[in-house]
Amino acid sequence: MPSTDYQGSSSPLTNLGRSFLPLRRDQVHSMESPIGGSPSNEAELESFQRQVADRFHDLASVPSDELLSLPWVRKLIDAFLCCQEEFRVILFNNRTPVKKPPMDRLIADYNERAVKALDVCNAIRDGIEQIRQWQKLIEIVLCALGGDNNSYQRSLGEGQFRRARKALVDLAIAMLDEKDSGQALAHRNRSFGRHNNSSSHSKDHHHRSLGHFRSLSWSVSRSWSAARQLQAIGNNLAVPRGNEVLATNGLAMPVYTMGSVLLFVMWALVAAIPCQDRGLQVHFNFPRQFPWAAPIISLHERILEESKKRDRKNACGLLREIYQMEKCSRLLGELADSVQFPLNEEKEKEVKQRVNELKQVSDAMKEDLEPLEKQVREVFHRIVRNRTEGLDSL
Amino acid sequence: MGKSQNGENLGTETVSDGGDEQNNPDELSSEPGFKFDQILKDVDQFIETLDSGENNFTCIDQFLEMVDSEIAAYELRKASAKFGLNMEEFFEAVKLLWTIIRRLEELPSDSGATSCLNRAGSEHHRAMLLLENEFRTLLDINTDRNEGETKLKTVEEFPYFSPESVSIMNRIGSTMIFAGYEAECCIAYSGLRLKALDAELSKLSFENINVDDAERMSWESLEVEIGNWLHIMKHCTNNLFSEERTLCNSVFSEHPSIAQRLFCELSTSLTMRLLNFPNALVLPRQYSTEKLFKFLDIYEALRDLNNMEIGNYLSAKEFMSDTFTVQCRIGETAVSIFSQLENSIESDNAGRIPVAGGAVHPLTRYTMNYLKYACEYKDTLEQVFQKHNEMEGLTVQKVQENYIEKDDRFLPASPFALKLVEVMDLLDANIEMKSKLYRSPSLRYIFLMNNGRYILQKLKESTDIYDMLGHSWSRKRTSELRQYHKLYQRDTWSNVLQTISHEGVQVNGKVSKPILKERFKNFNALFEEILKTQSTWVVSDGQLKSELRVSISSVMIPAYRSFVGRFQSYFDNSKQAGKYIKYQPEDIEELIEQLFEGNTTSMIRRS
Repeated sequence: MPSTDYQGSSSPLTNLGRSFLPLRRDQVHSMESPIGGSPSNEAELESFQRQVADRFHDLASVPSDELLSLPWVRKLIDAFLCCQEEFRVILFNNRTPVKKPPMDRLIADYNERAVKALDVCNAIRDGIEQIRQWQKLIEIVLCALGGDNNSYQRSLGEGQFRRARKALVDLAIAMLDEKDSGQALAHRNRSFGRHNNSSSHSKDHHHRSLGHFRSLSWSVSRSWSAARQLQAIGNNLAVPRGNEVLATNGLAMPVYTMGSVLLFVMWALVAAIPCQDRGLQVHFNFPRQFPWAAPIISLHERILEESKKRDRKNACGLLREIYQMEKCSRLLGELADSVQFPLNEEKEKEVKQRVNELKQVSDAMKEDLEPLEKQVREVFHRIVRNRTEGLDSL
Repeated sequence: MGKSQNGENLGTETVSDGGDEQNNPDELSSEPGFKFDQILKDVDQFIETLDSGENNFTCIDQFLEMVDSEIAAYELRKASAKFGLNMEEFFEAVKLLWTIIRRLEELPSDSGATSCLNRAGSEHHRAMLLLENEFRTLLDINTDRNEGETKLKTVEEFPYFSPESVSIMNRIGSTMIFAGYEAECCIAYSGLRLKALDAELSKLSFENINVDDAERMSWESLEVEIGNWLHIMKHCTNNLFSEERTLCNSVFSEHPSIAQRLFCELSTSLTMRLLNFPNALVLPRQYSTEKLFKFLDIYEALRDLNNMEIGNYLSAKEFMSDTFTVQCRIGETAVSIFSQLENSIESDNAGRIPVAGGAVHPLTRYTMNYLKYACEYKDTLEQVFQKHNEMEGLTVQKVQENYIEKDDRFLPASPFALKLVEVMDLLDANIEMKSKLYRSPSLRYIFLMNNGRYILQKLKESTDIYDMLGHSWSRKRTSELRQYHKLYQRDTWSNVLQTISHEGVQVNGKVSKPILKERFKNFNALFEEILKTQSTWVVSDGQLKSELRVSISSVMIPAYRSFVGRFQSYFDNSKQAGKYIKYQPEDIEELIEQLFEGNTTSMIRRS
């Protein structure tokens, strides 16, 4: 069976379509396979398992500095979309048995999980938007301290440092988890007050931070919880029993596989990107007999481990670029706090170095954030499309 | 400069170096008086003669001194009332400061400008901070009320800013952008406008509904949410977006591309929230046929949203793509709901029991009323079906059936019109099938006439359907009705007419009394039978009923009158005549009027 590549199309019509699969009724019948499993059916199912396994082996074989980076997350979503397409083809090729119990119930279960994933997609988009806002603050820092391409070589003055410091403080507050923002505000006023010329400023800044950016509950309801949603997606996700496998002629397996992949991918996204009530305690239990289980479990462990590290425990998202952003900006902030004017050459070099580091992170994010958002939208649309198609063709 | 609003020179107050609280805030900016002017003149000249040689930065220092004290004075003012009527000078000074900085930066690093530049930079940032804070305070209307400070004048309508506030924001924005702080300005603007839009939506009772939750809601709850959503959408497309755009354009009047970008981003953010709900509605669910109209409403709301000019900025593409996708999906849902009509017509066989009295079938009523209502959404339905065909890759074959006659021309039928024809054909077929349940041909024809007439009547009431089906369709139907009428007449009344035919009464040239008696007996029996049966039949359309009666009368009564007239004298006496001639022509006339009244004294009969 040929491997299917997901076509990242921007045309809304293919989101709706009937994309590359012919779904006209006359062609449908000719593709139905007989109920009693044929060799092609078995080969198809096996191929699917292998494809999934290959993709996740690929994802799992990255070094730790690449894990949960933006390019990696994009690859993860790509992998998901491919798996989903192949799954769709399998269902399509086995239309008749799919309608019969217990397969119909299994499919209905999977569909329910997929719908829950839609809200996760929306929440993730909110998180990406948050990151974009941080990006804007970083650009101010870069502009102030000569890290952008527009400024010519000049020595940095106090005014520029103050500008950078202000943006860095704003960034630090914005990056804290929403629940901590009350404390953060107090901290920030204190730290800013040190460099203030006028005490009236701190009072003015009071209004500022809250509601500063598009909050994480822009697209989801206020009571929505990523943690709960993940748990719901994983709810009752059980390995098919022997009789189920027999009764469905093996089709129960890809359904279980797709459900597991869905769960893991959503979990990883929640882990990486800031979202509302971002809890990672979800029960994963994938039996090792599946070829894809090992890499997924390994990824799961590695990500969990990352989340428990001392300096990442309170992170709002485990995305590597967030970590780098936070680290770079913190170091730069400390540096900026400590400088005396006029700057000596050594300090200036140090500042330039830190600014360059920050610029690298910023550039990386600039390149990947928008495509990432597009991919998440694609996931959303694919899921909806598969659901709306489901009624017509099945 | 240096004058108050009404042009008076405000005296010679000296420059104080930290802000003098006793000064009248409104006159603050005019405080340095003529010295302000002088300083600016000196600076302008200095900039002009700036070169890489010896430079005396004294006048710059003086200028910075002045700006410093101005800023300090403004800082001391209460928030949200910082910039009064004479702020223009201050903005000019700030802009000049930036110009100085840029010029100084051009000098080589050994020109001794460093400390001056440094100080200028600090003042600059301080000024920017002041401006940004003021900008935020002006934008964040709610804060004032919370803090209990002097309220800015607000207006009743969204976005609630007084023209003065907008004007000040405009000046601040321009100055910040000019002076290199565009990023801070835009971040502040976007953040606070988003917050305001959020608040506005909440006022309209908008709440995010998770897709997951929506999928599980009952139709009753969904219907309420749909109503709410439609209301909010209308408000957004009619008011909110245009007001927001106006605000963007007003605040950033000197920077249209920035205004454009900010508006694009805001509207995209807003739309994202609004689209979530309709996306949830297209997930598979059994929607019965009546739900069509709500979906068409939603489609129209999305279409209106999509038709708004958001502009060309990048995020506009995302906005349009997302809106368009949902709109199409809703359209598809509408198509499938409409198609259910066809299914329900096809499968309606009413348990094989025909409607009593040959009356209009409930299905006919339902379908015609449904179509009439649907055609109030004609334009939308045309769009929806057009789009559907495009996506399915269906093309309308250029065969004769697919052309519809309109005003003496034959035009290709639109996809929706064809759909309509399909539905009507199905209805016809179903009525035809149901008519066969009647054993009596006459009742069959009555049934066909009733339903056919009802359909034509409904067509007359809706010019949209009429136009879509075309003249020839209606003409065909009308002639069919006439045909049924004739058939009915023949089936019911030809036998009766035969009994009162003048032929065959005579035998060998003489009128046969037995035959005559037989004839009258037969006539009475047949006529009474018809009366008994067909009075229970129903013709609800008044015009059809009277047409039927009239055509029966116009044949029956003259024939009867002539028969009676001719042959009644052949009876021996009036008693005998009375025994056989039960009815007078006037009686016949009266009795015919009882036909098709639907008298329910008898049970449902298949006769």
